[in-house]
Amino acid sequence: MSWTVLRQSLYWQRSRLIAVGLVALAWGALIPTFYVTFQDLFEGLIEGGFPENLLNFGSGSLFTLGGTMTIGFEHPIGIGLVAIFAVGAAANAVAGEREAGTLEVLLSRPLSRRRFYASVGASVKIEAAIVLALMLAGQTASIIALGVQDEIEVAWIPMVWVMGLLLWAAFAAFSLAASVSFDRRGPAMALSLAYLGVNYFLEILGTFLPDLDWTQEYSLFHHFNPGEIVTGNLDPVDILIFAVAIILPIIWALVVFPRRDLAAPA
Amino acid sequence: MPDQPSATPDSAEPAIRTIGLTKHYSGGRHRPGRGLGPIRALNDVSLEVESGEIFGFLGPNGAGKSTMIRTLLGFLHATSGSARVLGMDVVRDSVALRGRVGYLPGGIALYGSLAGTASLDYYADLQQREPVKRTELAERLQLSSADLKRRVRDYSRGMRQKIGVIQALQHDPELAILDEPTEGLDPLMQLAFYEILEDLRAEGRTIFMSSHYLGEVERICNRVAIIRAGHLMAVQHVDELLARRKRRVSLLWRGTAPDLEGVPGLEDVVVSRDRITATLSGDVAPFIRAIASPSLVDLLIEPARLEDVFYEFYAGEDTGEGGAP
Repeated sequence: MSWTVLRQSLYWQRSRLIAVGLVALAWGALIPTFYVTFQDLFEGLIEGGFPENLLNFGSGSLFTLGGTMTIGFEHPIGIGLVAIFAVGAAANAVAGEREAGTLEVLLSRPLSRRRFYASVGASVKIEAAIVLALMLAGQTASIIALGVQDEIEVAWIPMVWVMGLLLWAAFAAFSLAASVSFDRRGPAMALSLAYLGVNYFLEILGTFLPDLDWTQEYSLFHHFNPGEIVTGNLDPVDILIFAVAIILPIIWALVVFPRRDLAAPA
Repeated sequence: MPDQPSATPDSAEPAIRTIGLTKHYSGGRHRPGRGLGPIRALNDVSLEVESGEIFGFLGPNGAGKSTMIRTLLGFLHATSGSARVLGMDVVRDSVALRGRVGYLPGGIALYGSLAGTASLDYYADLQQREPVKRTELAERLQLSSADLKRRVRDYSRGMRQKIGVIQALQHDPELAILDEPTEGLDPLMQLAFYEILEDLRAEGRTIFMSSHYLGEVERICNRVAIIRAGHLMAVQHVDELLARRKRRVSLLWRGTAPDLEGVPGLEDVVVSRDRITATLSGDVAPFIRAIASPSLVDLLIEPARLEDVFYEFYAGEDTGEGGAP
């Protein structure tokens, strides 16, 4: 790990991190408000014959506070806010420097490729962790302000952050693996977004087509379920799945990156 | 844990030594009628650069200059052969040797959002050595503190190149590897840069620079290597290279032309009215004795130039090899 690279990477993202962090805080605060405000309306819709599955979203549900929290993290807005760093910044971290030609000036110093990889990897994970923490802080503050904290086990909220971090660390690890594998940011970004999109597609497919809800098991999103966590139901298998999804791309990157030829940028 | 293996250099070793260094790329560019083939960027290059010299690495674009440099710095992995820099193996001790080297890439790319000073601070932090020469270099390259406070994106190409030179030399490296270092510098700054290199040489530093500006190589380098299509064509002292080449001579004559038959080294004699042109190699004294006469009106002897040597090596068919991607 190079603290200089880590510090500089965080410095470059500071404005974006502040802006996205504030939006995440507001988005988090909105979720419990949504649940409290529209709960009666949703129940009325179901009684009126509206398909119940359409009021669920991925692994979330609008009928419980925990389920609503899950939707907050699985909604495209929630995903987009974290993905800016865990996918966008990660995919750009190495391939972007290669494309711009700045990587060779860095690597002409006593800095190994693995150290550089570890440093930019730590940077994007810290950024994702901050956004997740702010989103969760918004949710928690709103839950307490609305007085509905009795519906969940508040002591488990930090575990939501930990599991969220594992989920996004897996996406960041994949995006970084893509980033070290290409000389241009385009292919790295496309591959990373495709990975995110496929996972998202598998998760929401079951929402609209209940017969295909088995596909959710193959989505990383399905293994991060804040609604289950805040009721004390944390499945250790989910942690194992995330560990594998994090470690495999890291191994790929640590093997491939040092062995690649870094020809002069075009 | 810092990436600083305790590789200790052998002071008796040359600053750079390559033995049979070869780099082939598996994917080749398309060549009409020849399809795709491997790119042979470096072929069996064996070279020694002594400590304390300015060594020029000459060749046109795509000859393999940048490939050689990038292999020395560990950016590229040699297909075969070996290389040692400051006594350290470029593969095994790559990180350690980069701590003692300064590198200026060709067409350097900098972070546009950083100010000049912030860029240099960033590179100095990564180098883990104090930028002891930064102030002096900035002064000599006429970069004021106001210039250094501006963002790099607002710099002209020449100013970016100056930052590139400073980042390569600010930590006073034992070996500076410079890829086309005067690209983008105006003539005055080129002169300032040559003086910087001369001073570094006087301080015992080694400079390995690639260039396709023959004049500057002739002016500042002790020795040169000429590379063509990945093959090393020559490695010699600049003076020796020039001494073997032909000078152009031109005589203006009044009256009867002198008898130049049998003057050693004189060739390609063309006589037209009162003017004689020829080429001359070797000792100049017999020629001077042959033309010594009151009838001689004017005499011009053009010194041999590296350019002529260079073109001589590049005359003939393309081998179809070489070319750094």
